Amino acid sequence: MKSDLRATLLRGLAIGMLGIWSLGPILLIVLSSFRPERDIFSPARRFNLDVTFDNYTQLFAAFPQFLPNMGNSLIVALGATALAVTTSTLAGYVYSRQRGRLLAASAFFAILVRLVPPIVVSLPLFPIADALKLSDTHILLIVLYSAFWVSMLSVMMKVFIDQIPPTLDEAARVDGASTTQTFLRIVLPLATAGMIAGGIFVFVYAWNEYLFAFIFSSTRAVTAPLIVSNIMDSVAGTQWGVLFAAATLQLAPVLALVIFFQKFLVAGLMAGSVKG
Amino acid sequence: MLLPMQLQLILVLALPSLYVLWLSFTESSYGATPEFVGWANYAAILSDPSFWRSLVNTLIVVNIVVYVEIILSIGVALLFQSVKRGRALLMAMILAPYAVSEVVAVLAWRFMLEPDIGILTGLFSALGYVPNWATNPIEALVLVSMIGVWLHLPFSFLLIYAALIAIPADLGEAARVDGARPWQRFRLVTLPLLMPAILIAIIFRYIFGFRIFSEVWLLTQGGPARTTEVMAVYLYKNAFRYNEFGMAAATGWLMVLGALLLASFYVYHVYRSGFRNEV
Repeated sequence: MKSDLRATLLRGLAIGMLGIWSLGPILLIVLSSFRPERDIFSPARRFNLDVTFDNYTQLFAAFPQFLPNMGNSLIVALGATALAVTTSTLAGYVYSRQRGRLLAASAFFAILVRLVPPIVVSLPLFPIADALKLSDTHILLIVLYSAFWVSMLSVMMKVFIDQIPPTLDEAARVDGASTTQTFLRIVLPLATAGMIAGGIFVFVYAWNEYLFAFIFSSTRAVTAPLIVSNIMDSVAGTQWGVLFAAATLQLAPVLALVIFFQKFLVAGLMAGSVKG
Repeated sequence: MLLPMQLQLILVLALPSLYVLWLSFTESSYGATPEFVGWANYAAILSDPSFWRSLVNTLIVVNIVVYVEIILSIGVALLFQSVKRGRALLMAMILAPYAVSEVVAVLAWRFMLEPDIGILTGLFSALGYVPNWATNPIEALVLVSMIGVWLHLPFSFLLIYAALIAIPADLGEAARVDGARPWQRFRLVTLPLLMPAILIAIIFRYIFGFRIFSEVWLLTQGGPARTTEVMAVYLYKNAFRYNEFGMAAATGWLMVLGALLLASFYVYHVYRSGFRNEV
C-alpha cells in the first residue's frame, strides 16, 4: 500500500511538471495580454491581478491591419486544407484499391521529394512567382502549404480508406455505378474521419507557417504569424501588452481546434506514422 | 486520380529542387541571367567560415533537440499510459504546444528569459546564474533547442505512444510473473519493442530539425556577428540579403543531400515493410 501511495504521488508530481512545461508558456502569454503594461514590466507586481482590455484596444488602434491579416491566414489555411485534402483523398483511394509497380514508384517519389527542405524551394520559386505575378498572393501560399502535406496525407488517407471494405465498391459497380459515382457516394462519406484528421494537420500548419509567409508576402497576403513577428520587431521592449494581445489572438483559434479535435489528430498521426 | 497530388509535388518540389541544382553551378543573383561557373559556389561556401559555423550550430541544435525530445517523449508516453482517469484532459495538455506557432513560441520563451523581467531569468539568478542569450551564442542555441523541443514534443510523443499501445499487455504481465522489476520490464520488454518506432522518430526529427529556420531567425536573426546562424539562415542570408543565389543554391543542395542521407535508412525501411508488396 505504501509503495502505491508513493507511486501515485510521483505520478502526480510528474503530471504537474508536464503541465507547467506544456501550458506554462501559453498561459503566460494569454494571461499577460489582459494585464496592464506596468504590471507586465514589473517583477514586483507579478501577482497583481488587475484585468484590462487596454492591450487589445491599443492593438487594433496601432495595427488596424491585424484583423485583415488574420483573415488572410484564414483564407490561406482553408484553401490549403481544401486543396491538400481533395488531392490526397483521391490519391489515397488509388493507393488503397490498386497495386502495381508504377504506383509503388509514385509513392516512393512522394516520400522522397517530401524531404526537400522548404527554404531550398524558395530560391527558384521567388523569381518564378514574380514572373507569374503570384508573389504576395494567397494562391501561392495555398499551393506551397498544400504541396508540403500531400505526401503524408495520401499515406494517411490510404490507411483510412483501407478500412472501408472493397466489397462495398464492387457492389456499387455491379449496380452500375461509375468509378466517380462509387468514389463520391460510397468511399467519400465513409472517409470523412480521415479527411478531418488530415485537414487539421494542414490547417494547423498553414495557420502557423512563418518561413514562406515571410519570403513570399509583403502587403496583400500577409498572414497572422508574420504580423505578430512584425509587431515583435517594432514594439518589443516597450509595449509587451500589445504584442501579447496579438499573440493570443493568433494562438486562440487553432488551440481550440487542436483541443476540440484531439481524437482526430491522434488517429491521423497514428495512421500516417505507424503504417509508413 | 493520382495526378493532382503528383502534379503538386512535381511542380512545387521536384522541379524547383532540380532547378536549384542547376543554380548551384551558376553565378546568379535576383534578376540577372545565370552564368555557369562549375563547382565555384561549392568551393566558395566550403571555404567560408560562416558556413562551417552554421553547420556546427545546426548539428548542435539538431542533436539537442532530437535526443532531449525522444527521451522526454518516452517518459511522457509511459506516464500517459499509466494514467487511468482524466486521459482526454491530459492529452489536451500534452498536445497544446502543437497548436502554437513558432512566432508565439519564440515570444513566450523570450519573455520568460528577458534580462530584467523574465520569470526564468529571476529563477536562474536566484540560483546564482545570470543567463543572457542575447550576447552568449551557446545560450542562444540552447534556447533555440528548448523552443524546438517544446514545439515538437507532441509530435514525437504521438509517434512513440502509438507504438507503446501496440505492445501486447500480457508480455509485461508475463515478465512480472517471472519476477522482473519495473525497470527490468522496461529495459528488457518494452524498450526493445519500442525501438523501431524510436528509430523512426529519431530519423523524422533529424530530417525536420535539420531545416530549422524560424526559431533562430525570430530569436537572433543569426546574430550577434553571425555566431548563431544555422544552415537555413545562412542560405536565406546569402540569397535574400547578399544576393548570392548561386551560393545559396549550393547550400540548399548540401541540405538536400544531408536530408537524403539521413532518410535513406527510413526510406529503405518503408520500402521493405510496406510499399513493395502493399501498394
